[in-house]
Amino acid sequence: MTSSDKVTACALLILVGIGALSFWSEERNEHDREWVTHTLLVVEKLQTVRIDITQAETGQRGYMLTGKERYLELYSAGVQQVRGDMNELPDLIRDNPSERDAIQTLQPLITARLAELDAGIEVRKRSGLLAGAEAVTRANNGEKWMGQIAAQIGQMRQAEEGLLTRRLETEAASTTKIKAAIVLGNSLAILILLLKGLVIQKEIVRRTQAEENLKRSNVSLERRTTELSESNKELLATNVELESFAYSVAHDLRAPLRHIAGYSNIIAQDYGPLLDAEGLRFLKKIIAGAQNLGHLVDDLLGLSKVGQQVLSLEATPLDALLRELMDDLAPELAARAIEWRIGELPVVECDRVLMRQVFANLLLNAVKYTRKRDLAVIEVGQIMLNGERVIRVRDNGVGFEMQYAGKLFGVFQRLHKAGDFEGTGVGLAVVQRIVRKHGGRIWAEAELDRGATFFFTLGSSAIIPRTDPELANENEEEAMHVARS
Amino acid sequence: MSHEVEILLVDDSPEDVELTIRALRRNKIANEIQVAEDGAEALDFLFCRGVHKDRSPDRPPRLVLLDLKLPKVDGLAVLRAIREDERTKTVPVVILTSSKQQRDVIEGYNLGVNAYAQKPVDFEQFGEAIRQIGMFWMLINQAPPPKVHEAGKAQGA
Repeated sequence: MTSSDKVTACALLILVGIGALSFWSEERNEHDREWVTHTLLVVEKLQTVRIDITQAETGQRGYMLTGKERYLELYSAGVQQVRGDMNELPDLIRDNPSERDAIQTLQPLITARLAELDAGIEVRKRSGLLAGAEAVTRANNGEKWMGQIAAQIGQMRQAEEGLLTRRLETEAASTTKIKAAIVLGNSLAILILLLKGLVIQKEIVRRTQAEENLKRSNVSLERRTTELSESNKELLATNVELESFAYSVAHDLRAPLRHIAGYSNIIAQDYGPLLDAEGLRFLKKIIAGAQNLGHLVDDLLGLSKVGQQVLSLEATPLDALLRELMDDLAPELAARAIEWRIGELPVVECDRVLMRQVFANLLLNAVKYTRKRDLAVIEVGQIMLNGERVIRVRDNGVGFEMQYAGKLFGVFQRLHKAGDFEGTGVGLAVVQRIVRKHGGRIWAEAELDRGATFFFTLGSSAIIPRTDPELANENEEEAMHVARS
Repeated sequence: MSHEVEILLVDDSPEDVELTIRALRRNKIANEIQVAEDGAEALDFLFCRGVHKDRSPDRPPRLVLLDLKLPKVDGLAVLRAIREDERTKTVPVVILTSSKQQRDVIEGYNLGVNAYAQKPVDFEQFGEAIRQIGMFWMLINQAPPPKVHEAGKAQGA
């Protein structure tokens, strides 16, 4: 549960508490109202007692004076009512012990007063008006009883009202406290919820902003992607244009070059005898230069063609491809002492013709730069580097300085003097272009005068795993065979 | 020059023409050569139009050496015209050009060229290529008998 959830739970708890408190408070108020009603009932009953006694007195007095039955009935009804009232009173006030005592006091007073009234009635019935008057006068207690009764009832009323007042005061005090608690609790809950609302509001604003930011960066990302893909398209178009430009330049260079070479040769053939040795030497330089330029142009055309060529991929066993290639090269290499160490090679998904050119260029390269060795050793095999299958061509030739390794694959870049080793500096550029076209990489390691090693990959998807389990764990140069040419 | 034209050389480069003829001659190929410097001229010669209107179309050359990049009508169009006409459709045509572009080679063979060779830059190789082409088409190759042309003419008429 997060702190935010805790705050919400707290506010809800407070609200539930306040609800319970309100209910309880309302229950108490209901109870209070019952008390007020009760007290009013008691006070009214006490009042009734007085009135009923007065009615009994009035009836008695009337009878005493007139002897009429009507008054006697009034009297009897009054007495009856007083008795009823006095029967009901204890029930009403049983909640108040002091009032019970007060009733104990009131009861005999009323009994005595009623007895006196009754005695007067009896005398009047028996002995007539005068005897009755005389008896009443003799007793002469009526006023005294009534005074005491009234005082007692007044006391009881006061006690009852006092009790009510005290009760109401107590209740009022606790009601005030409850009200305060309700107001305070409600305020607190409202405050908490307000704060919570504010926090939520802030969070909503924050999220909305984050969303907008995301949208904005998405839009800008899309725009950039579009721009990138557009400039990529432009780049591709430029590349295609460049390729075809290079092609047509190289192509158009061939005709004048052919003419230079051709006419130089004609001069040599037809007018050679007219030239002195120096003149002939210059002419030969022109012919050689034209020839050289011709090779450059042809190689450049070849390179440009590789760039434009669409790969025609097929599963190609490289060992078979290498065998064919070496058979074809054999006549050219007949004069050389070369020890070939050919290891296992994978089957790869590649353009067969272009892959043949890769191996041809690399092998001829190795052959060329081992020329000064009595026994040239050229190895072809595969190794695993960081989980990647790498094909390797290694020789024990003149090598090169590693600081120039970066120039190795550049067009027309050569690391050796033309006088030492012939070549146009395009062969490795072609190799690199073909390897890259296959999604692979090529690099070289060498040590001056110790030989060079070329490594290349063909992209992970190009390698077709062999089912032969023996090859599963091969590392390098397994099942190597050695051939001498 | 009463000899019948046996080789039609179509090339707009006077240098290439000169080098080609020299190579042929030095290799003892002495057949009569007609040069056309653009495609239109080649078609005029083949179909006896324009300056060649007096020539007999019944005697087509024994070999056409055809460059591709030509003014007015390009080499492939000339080839197409040769193959579409009954009088010339059996004439051996060798494309001899600077271009080694695949689409030119494919298109050439689609149009029924007999051979396709790139002009080598190297003089020796150039001479050797011309020699071999001349030797093969003029001496070794068995040309279609003249009646094929006559039959062709009859059909075409």
